[in-house]
This record gives sequence, structure tokens and C-alpha cells, in this order.
Amino acid sequence: MAAALAASLPAPVAAPTPVAPTYEAIPASMSKVIDIEAEIPLQVVQLDGLVVTKILKHTREAPSSTVHGLLLGLDLDGTLEVSNSFALPHHVSDEDEKSVKSSARYQSSMLRSLREVHTDDGVVGFYQATSLGAFFNQSLVEIQALHQEKLRHGGIVVVHDLSLTSRGNASFRAFRLTPSFLDAFKKSNFSTTSLVSHRLTFASILEEIPLQIRTNPLLGSFLDTLTKSTPSLLPDATPETAAVSVIPPSFSALDLGTTGLTRNLEQVIEAIDNYRTEEGNLAYLSRQIARERARADNYVAKRKEENLARVAQDLAPLPEEDVARLFKIPAEPSRLESMLLLGQIDAYGKSLEGTASSGLVKMYSVKAAST
Amino acid sequence: MALGGSSAVHVQPPTPLSSTLSSAAPRTPSSITIHPVALFSILDHYLRRTQDQPRVIGTLLGNRSPDGTQINVCSSFAVLHSETDEQVAVDMEYHRTMYELHSRVNPKETIVGWYSTGSNLNTYSALIQNFYSQETAPHQAIHVALNTGAEEGEEAGVQAYVSSPVGVFPKPENCIFVPVPVHLQFRDSERGGLDLLTQTALSPNSTSAQPVTALENLDAALTTVSQMIDRVLAYVRRVLAGEVEGDKALGRYLMDTLGVAAVGEKGGEDKTFNASLQDTLMISYLATLVRSQAEVSARLALVT
Repeated sequence: MAAALAASLPAPVAAPTPVAPTYEAIPASMSKVIDIEAEIPLQVVQLDGLVVTKILKHTREAPSSTVHGLLLGLDLDGTLEVSNSFALPHHVSDEDEKSVKSSARYQSSMLRSLREVHTDDGVVGFYQATSLGAFFNQSLVEIQALHQEKLRHGGIVVVHDLSLTSRGNASFRAFRLTPSFLDAFKKSNFSTTSLVSHRLTFASILEEIPLQIRTNPLLGSFLDTLTKSTPSLLPDATPETAAVSVIPPSFSALDLGTTGLTRNLEQVIEAIDNYRTEEGNLAYLSRQIARERARADNYVAKRKEENLARVAQDLAPLPEEDVARLFKIPAEPSRLESMLLLGQIDAYGKSLEGTASSGLVKMYSVKAAST
Repeated sequence: MALGGSSAVHVQPPTPLSSTLSSAAPRTPSSITIHPVALFSILDHYLRRTQDQPRVIGTLLGNRSPDGTQINVCSSFAVLHSETDEQVAVDMEYHRTMYELHSRVNPKETIVGWYSTGSNLNTYSALIQNFYSQETAPHQAIHVALNTGAEEGEEAGVQAYVSSPVGVFPKPENCIFVPVPVHLQFRDSERGGLDLLTQTALSPNSTSAQPVTALENLDAALTTVSQMIDRVLAYVRRVLAGEVEGDKALGRYLMDTLGVAAVGEKGGEDKTFNASLQDTLMISYLATLVRSQAEVSARLALVT
């Protein structure tokens, strides 16, 4: 047993000849990069390796496809460094007053606890996981609109695409709402005239911020150890097992199967159906508005004619202002939902395009390899 | 995929007689798997320690197989502790609060043990182990020692232990740490993320820009494959020229691989290829059509 214990301890190795270390440039004075008022605009979002794995784990385990979590970090000279994150409990219903309160309590006690172990405790945004690139939905817009008012720099939302990651291409993108959309959202006015004056289409709801992934040197060296392959101890190992590595190289990007394509097509159809329903509702409402308005106009015209007749007969004219009281013209419907649905359709189409184009490349490479 | 590279022979204690009598008694863990997120959290905690802390400790969360022999460590969180020459203190209240917060998001994860950085096991380790054994009762607590490799002469690695009491009268500060094999475990769907991180770590100044399109990713993978083929080709040429002696196992392996690639009829392939090509092109057209329709529709909504 003692021998086993002794053997399990790492053997002292000869220190390798030190290579001249390269340090990251540290500015001579930090006065230029410190901004208390958050005046330096955000240039880039930097995601730490830890956050990447945390988001991946959370999205894989989550019961539903959309999961949320908070991003913690700080900003320095235009770079928003996201250094940690934690998952938010999945709520059953958003309307429930109690669940909102308990969620707020959870957040504050989590932040307090993390501060005690010297983690960055500034909330800088939130993350959301989606599949096939369709992340436009009401909840994202609402949370982000709330954050953009409260947080320093307005906060960001990091979107992680689950379907791309399972195909071997982990994808993270950072967004925030455009000022024009936020203005319209604050007035909660998404009528046609408002859309025209804010120049809003689905493409101008969110603006993308460049995103970087960063691994700190400690994590980098640890990963290097994990990926290093060591020769097997067994003398008669087969070529597959001759070199052992904790993280063996993978070639999932070369996988020929087009899994998820059917799902993607189904989702396109579903989104288009939803959009059609929404458009139908809008058309119905606008017809109703038009009908009411026509009736009101008719009434006004009639009253005017009548008044003309009365004036001719030297009678006092009847009042014309009671139209608003008699006819309730409904407010113009909000076009936000239909705009978001269009965005979804576009995103599904985009991911379909991506799959098709990489599929073509794969097919031709297989053909080239087999001849 | 064993972590740590230890050459220890893992000895399993024979099943005690009591467990054959009552099958409910938990058995000693014989295999431990760790999720990367737990390891990375430990590294992050180690980075954020105060100057005078030689090591950091924390709680490991995860789940057990029904018979208790297999433990999956899914995540970890940092716990405050202080060590001096005289005493060791663990902030138990903090540990409880964090556990409660974690169990709200992940109710399935329970406490399975604790971690520390560095690979020295001492009396304090035994005391902390004793504390965690009470938390995980009736199961045994596991201890994961992660060597960050930050100190000179140390190699990065992970070791896992279970404890067993020693002496006629067991005392909390005395125990033997028995090593248990430990593996890194992750799902295939998380593989892409790990690849991204390893590539990032290799790149200069440890950053990489996102998002990477599927085509760029494919391009990188194809380049790697082409480089590998070149390497094999160079090796084969050198063997043929008689510069190096050929490895028989390697030769056999190459023959098997090439044999697989050559199987398949000539005529049928073209037919399938064409059918598949048409499908893919159709999908591509459909996607473009859908996107342009969406764009037109969005513009038309602005027309009054």
C-alpha cells in the first residue's frame, strides 16, 4: 500500500530550460483605462474558458431548450471580460410573483457567496442557449431591455448555439439591443408608423459585438497536459491504443451524416406557420380598424350634411365632437411578435444554408478521396 | 483516458462481510469520473486565492451509481478555509449555503466529496476528509487532489482518493488515503467546446475570435487531415527508401485503413452521389428562398 501511495505521487522531473517568458503588455498608467462613468464604449466581449464549459454543461443538462444564466465579470478599456457565470433556476411560469421574488433572492445570495471567494461579482449580462440559431424571442428581448437600463454598459447577451456545438463547432455570439429598438420598446409602440420612424426590421433589433474566447495561462498549461499523448505502457498495444491521451483528437467536423437537417426543416415550417397565423391576426385587426374608421367617417360626413341642412333652416348645428365617444377605434396592433418570428425564420434559413454548404464541401471531398 | 498519469496499482479492498449480509450498505467507490467544468472551476479558484493561501479547497458535487462504486463528479464550488500551524477551519455555513443554492438549479447533484490543490496529503486533509464523510454519509467521501503544475518541479495532474481508518481506535486525524482511478468524462456534444478551448490555448496570446463558421471549421479539419496524410506518406517513403525500419504493426494498420476506403462498387456510388447532391442543392435553394422572402416581408411591413 505504501508503495502504491509513493508511486501515485508525481515524480520530480528535471526543470526544462526556461524560455524567455512573454508578458502581456501592461500599460504604464491605468488612469486612461479606468472609467467610472462607463464612458469607454464596448469594443469586444471576452469569454473565459471556464464560462464556456459552464454554459455548455448547463445547456446540456437543462430540461428545456432555452436556459438562462448570469454572466459575471468586469470591463476594462473597451473589453468586457466575462470571467464567471452561474445558472439561473428554471422557472415554470414567469408571471408568478413568488417565483420572481425567489429568483431575485437566489441571485443576490449567489453573488454574495461568490464575492467571498474573490470571484468577480459584477453582473455584465446573461446567456441563453438556443438551437439552430433562432434566439429571437420575447423573453430575450424583455430581459435584455431590463438589463440595458440597469447594468453598466447596458449589459450583453451571449447566445450559444447547441446544434452547432454538437456538430463540433462551438459557437458563441454576443449581442445587445440597438438604441432605436430600445426606444421603440420603452414606448411599447410597435405600430407600423413607429417601425417606419425607427427603421426597424428584424435585422436591426440586435447588434452583434465581436466576441473572443480566452484561456488563462494556468488553464492553457493544464489543457496542454490533458491533450498531450503519452505512449502506452502495454508492450503489445494496437495502433489505436498505442498512444494514450485524456482528450484524444476528434474529427466530428468531418462527420458526413446530416443529423438535424430534418429537424431544421421542420422548424422552418413551424416558424412559417406561426408567422402566417400572426399575420392573419394582424390582418384581421387592421380590417376591423378600417371598418370602424369607415363607420366613424360615415357618421361624421352624415352629421356634416345634416348640419348644413340645419344651418340652411336657421337651426343651431349639432355637435361633431362625440365621434370618439360613439366609436371605439381599437389601437393599432403591435408588430413586435411578427417581427421576431420573421427573425426566427431568417435564422433557421441561415442555419439551413450553412448545413447545406458544408454538406456540399464534404460530399465533394468524399468523392475526391474515393476516386 | 486516465488523468494524472500515475502508475499506481489500484487495489480494491475485498467486499466486507457485512455488505453480503445487508445489501444496503454502500460499497467503496472504485472508479471516479470528472467533468471538465469541475476541474476548470478548481483552477479558477486557485487563480483567485489570496497571497498567503498555499492551497484552496472546495466541495465536489455529482452523482453515484446505484451500488455506489462509480462516482461522477459534475461540478464543484469553492469553500473558504484557513490553515495555520495549529488549526484548520472550514467555513461550514458557507458550504451549506452554496450547496443549497446549487441544488436549486441542479437538484440531482449531491455532495460526493471535496477537492484541494497541490498533492500533499497531511493531517489537515484527514480532518477535512472526516468532515466531508459526515456530509456524504452513509456513502464514503472522495478526495480529489489537483496539482496545478504551477510550482516548479511539479507536474499537472489529478489524483482521487477514498479514505480508510487506521489503527485500533480510529481517530479523525488518522486515515489512509487509498488512490482510486480517475477519468475525465464529457459528452460528445461538449466536445466542440473543449476543442475550441484547446485551440485557443495553443494560439498566440490565448485568445480566439468568434463566431467560427461551419466552413472555416471544416477547412481547418480538412487541412489537419491533409497534413496527417502527408506525414504518413513521408514515413512510407522513408521506409521504402530504407532509411528507417518499418513498424510492422503500423504497416498492418495502414493496410486495413486503405482496405476499408477501397471497398464499394464504382457504379452505385455515382448514383447515390448525384441523388444526394440534388437533395443538398434543393435545401440550399430552399434556405435562400426562405431568407429572401423573410427579408421582403420585413421590408413590406414598413410600407404604409
